Amino acid sequence: MEHRNVDRRSFLNQLGVVVGSAAAATAIPAVKPASAQTPAAPKGRIPDTPLKFGHMTFLTGPGAVLGEPSLKGHILAAEEINAQGGILGKRKIETITADEAAGTDANVKELRRMKLSEKIDLFTGVISSGNTPALGPVAEELGALTIFVDGCTDFLWDKAVPNPKFAFRITNIQSADGVTCALAAAQAWPEAKRVAHIHPDYSYGRNAFDHFNIAFGKLVPGIQVVSEGWPKLGTTDFTAHITKAMSSNPDLIVSSVWGGDYVAMYKQALRYGMFNSAKFASTIAFGVAPHAIGKDHPEGVIAGVHANYYFTFPPGNRWPANKRFVEKYYKRWNEYPNFQSDGAYHTLYMYKTAVEKANKLTGGWPEEEAVISQLEGMYFETAAGDLYIRPDNHQGYKDAVTGFSKNVPEYPFPILDPNRMVTIPIRNITAPPHWPKPGNGHNDPTATYNWIKETWPQVA
Amino acid sequence: MTILVIQILNSFFYAAVLFLIAAGLSLIYGVMRIVNLAHGSLYALGAYVSAWIVGSAVGHALEGNLGLAGTLLLLPLGAVAVAAVGAVIEPTLLRPLYRRSEEYHLLVTFGLLMILEDVMKLLFGRTPLSAGQIMDQMGSIPVGRLMYPTYNLFVVTVGIAAAIGLWAFIYRTKFGVILRATSQDRRMAAALGINVSRVYVQAFAIGCFMAGLGGAVVVPAQAAVLGLGIEVLILAFVVVVIGGLGSLQGALVGALIVSFVRTAGIQFFPEIELAVLYLIAAAVLLVRPTGMFGRA
Repeated sequence: MEHRNVDRRSFLNQLGVVVGSAAAATAIPAVKPASAQTPAAPKGRIPDTPLKFGHMTFLTGPGAVLGEPSLKGHILAAEEINAQGGILGKRKIETITADEAAGTDANVKELRRMKLSEKIDLFTGVISSGNTPALGPVAEELGALTIFVDGCTDFLWDKAVPNPKFAFRITNIQSADGVTCALAAAQAWPEAKRVAHIHPDYSYGRNAFDHFNIAFGKLVPGIQVVSEGWPKLGTTDFTAHITKAMSSNPDLIVSSVWGGDYVAMYKQALRYGMFNSAKFASTIAFGVAPHAIGKDHPEGVIAGVHANYYFTFPPGNRWPANKRFVEKYYKRWNEYPNFQSDGAYHTLYMYKTAVEKANKLTGGWPEEEAVISQLEGMYFETAAGDLYIRPDNHQGYKDAVTGFSKNVPEYPFPILDPNRMVTIPIRNITAPPHWPKPGNGHNDPTATYNWIKETWPQVA
Repeated sequence: MTILVIQILNSFFYAAVLFLIAAGLSLIYGVMRIVNLAHGSLYALGAYVSAWIVGSAVGHALEGNLGLAGTLLLLPLGAVAVAAVGAVIEPTLLRPLYRRSEEYHLLVTFGLLMILEDVMKLLFGRTPLSAGQIMDQMGSIPVGRLMYPTYNLFVVTVGIAAAIGLWAFIYRTKFGVILRATSQDRRMAAALGINVSRVYVQAFAIGCFMAGLGGAVVVPAQAAVLGLGIEVLILAFVVVVIGGLGSLQGALVGALIVSFVRTAGIQFFPEIELAVLYLIAAAVLLVRPTGMFGRA
C-alpha cells in the first residue's frame, strides 16, 4: 500500500469527482458517436426474415418494479426500429419475453429453449446479479449472442465468464455503485466516522457493503462500522433493522435496499425519525421508476441510481440524446424512464449500430462474428452519456453519477437536485483491464476491491 | 434500555401482523383440513385494496370529511373485500377437492397464489401503493432519544382485539360450537342437521378476512408492493409449525416467538437472521411434531 501524504480534497479532485450543475457526464467527444451518424443504404442483399430477440426480465414479483421499465425500454426501441423498416431497413424485430422470477434454474433452461427451439438472434434483459453468472456461461456454451441489461455483478467477468466471446453487458459494473456512493458521501460528509449499514442479504447488498467500506475508509480515516443489518430480499418490515441502526449512534446510514423494498423502508424510517438522526446514503434509492418515490421522501440524502442513469441528467440543453429519449419514452408510456429503460433501449440501438457497421465491411447480413467484433470496443452515445464497451471483458462503462434528493415543483416526485449532481469518470473507480481477478494472487471480493485496496492512498 | 423498549414494541407489532395471518391459516386448516398456500396473497390483496381505497381520490375526499377516525374505518374495507373473494373461492375452487388427497389442495392453492399475484399486478400496477397519510396524522411518540410511531401501537391493539374476538367467537358463541363440531367430525355434524357447506364458506371467509385485515393494518406502516405476500406466507408457516396447525393458541404463541426471535436475530446475529427461525421450527418439530398446541 502506498503511504503518500494526500488530503481528501486533492484526492477527490484527482479522481475527477465533480459536484454541481456544471458537472456533465462526459465532455462531448470530437468524433461523433456512431448512433448520431445517418446510416447509409445497406450493402448487399439483406433477407427480410424477422429477427427474433429474447428479453428476460422480472414480469412478476417484487422485481417487476424494475422489470417493467426494462421491457418498456426494449419495446420502445423495437417499435422505433421496426417503424423504419427494421434493422438494415429489412429485418424487423420480434420479441419473445420470459419471466426472470421463474428462478435461476428455470431461467437457464429458458435461455437454452430460446436459443435451440426459438432460434433467437439476440438474448437480452436480465436484472438479478444472481442470474447473470448462471446465464453467462450458458450463453457462451450455446454461442448465443447476449447483451445483458443489468445483473451487473463483477463476479460475471471476474469469475463466471473471464474470457467472454458472445456475452456482453451494457450497464455499469456493480462495484461502481458502492464506490460512487462512498465518494459522494466522503465529499459531502467527511466528518462521518460511525457508519451503519442496511443491505439486502444477497450478492448486490454484499457487493455494495464491501465497496462502500473500502472506498470510504480510504477517504475518511478511522471509520467504524457500528451496525449491520441484512434484511432478506423481499422483506417489507424494516422496523427492527431501523431501530438497530439508529441505536448504534451512527453518523451515516448506508443502504442498498432497492425497489418496492426501499419504498417500504423509507416510509418506516421516516416515522422512526431515522433521517433526522443520521445522514443517509443509498446506492440505488432512485434507481426504481421515478414515480414510485413519494414527495414524503427525505430531501438532501444521497439517492443513488445504480447503473448511472437518472432521467434529468445530463440536462437536455447539454445532452440532446437524453432529452430525445425522455420525451419519446414519456410519450409512449406516460411515465419517466429509469436506468433499466435506458439500458434496454440502448441495447437494441447498440446491436443495430454494430450490424450496420459490420454490413458496411462485409455486405449482406453480417455474420455474428462480425457483429461481435463491432460491439467490442464500441463507443456509443446513450441517454446517460457515452458508453464504452471494453473489449477485454465485454463490459459497458459509462461515467458514474449520483446525487441528492430534492422536491421540485416540476415533478410530482422528488428528483436528484440538478445543482448538486455528482459525477465521476468511471475509469478512475474501476480496476483497469488485466488487473488480477480474485483467485489470482488475491482473494478479495472483486478485482476493483483489490485495486482500490492496493493503489488508492490512505487520506490522512 | 431505549433500544430494548423499542425492539420489544417492534416485536409486538410484527407479532400482531403475523398472528392475523397465521390465525386465518390455522382456522381454515382446522375446519377444512386445507393448507392454503394462497393465504399470503390474500393478505397482500387486503393491503392493496386498503391502500387503494385510502390512497385514492375517494379516500382523500373522505379523509377531509371524516378525519383520522374515518380514514381508519376505511382500512377494514380491504379485509371485507378479501372475505368476499374467499366466499367465492371456497365453493368454486376448493369444494370439489375435499375428497381428494392433499397434493391437490396444494396444487390448487398454489395456482391460486400465482393467479392472485398476477391479478394484483394487473389491477394495481407495479408501482407500490401507500396509505402513509394515516401514519403521518398519528405521529410518533418519543421513547428516550428515539421515536416510535403511534400507529404501530394501534396495530398491536388490533392484534390483541382480534385474538380476543376470535377466541370469544369460537369458544363462546353458537356458531363457534358448530364450527368446532364440524371441524371434529364433518359427517356427524351433517347428520345432526348442520349445513356443512355453509359452515365451510363462512369459515373460509373468516379466515380470509383475518388475512385481509393483516394486510389492511400493515399497509399504512409499509407500502403495498408486489410479492408482499410471499415472504409473509413463509413466516406464517413457521408460526403454525411452531404453534401447531389448526390451533388458535398456537398461532398466538407462534407469532410471538417468531417475531421476538426475528427481532433478536436482527439485533444480535444479523448474519443468520432467517436461519435462527428455521432452527427453532426444526427444534419444535423434533420434540413435538404436531407443534406446541397441535393435535395429532
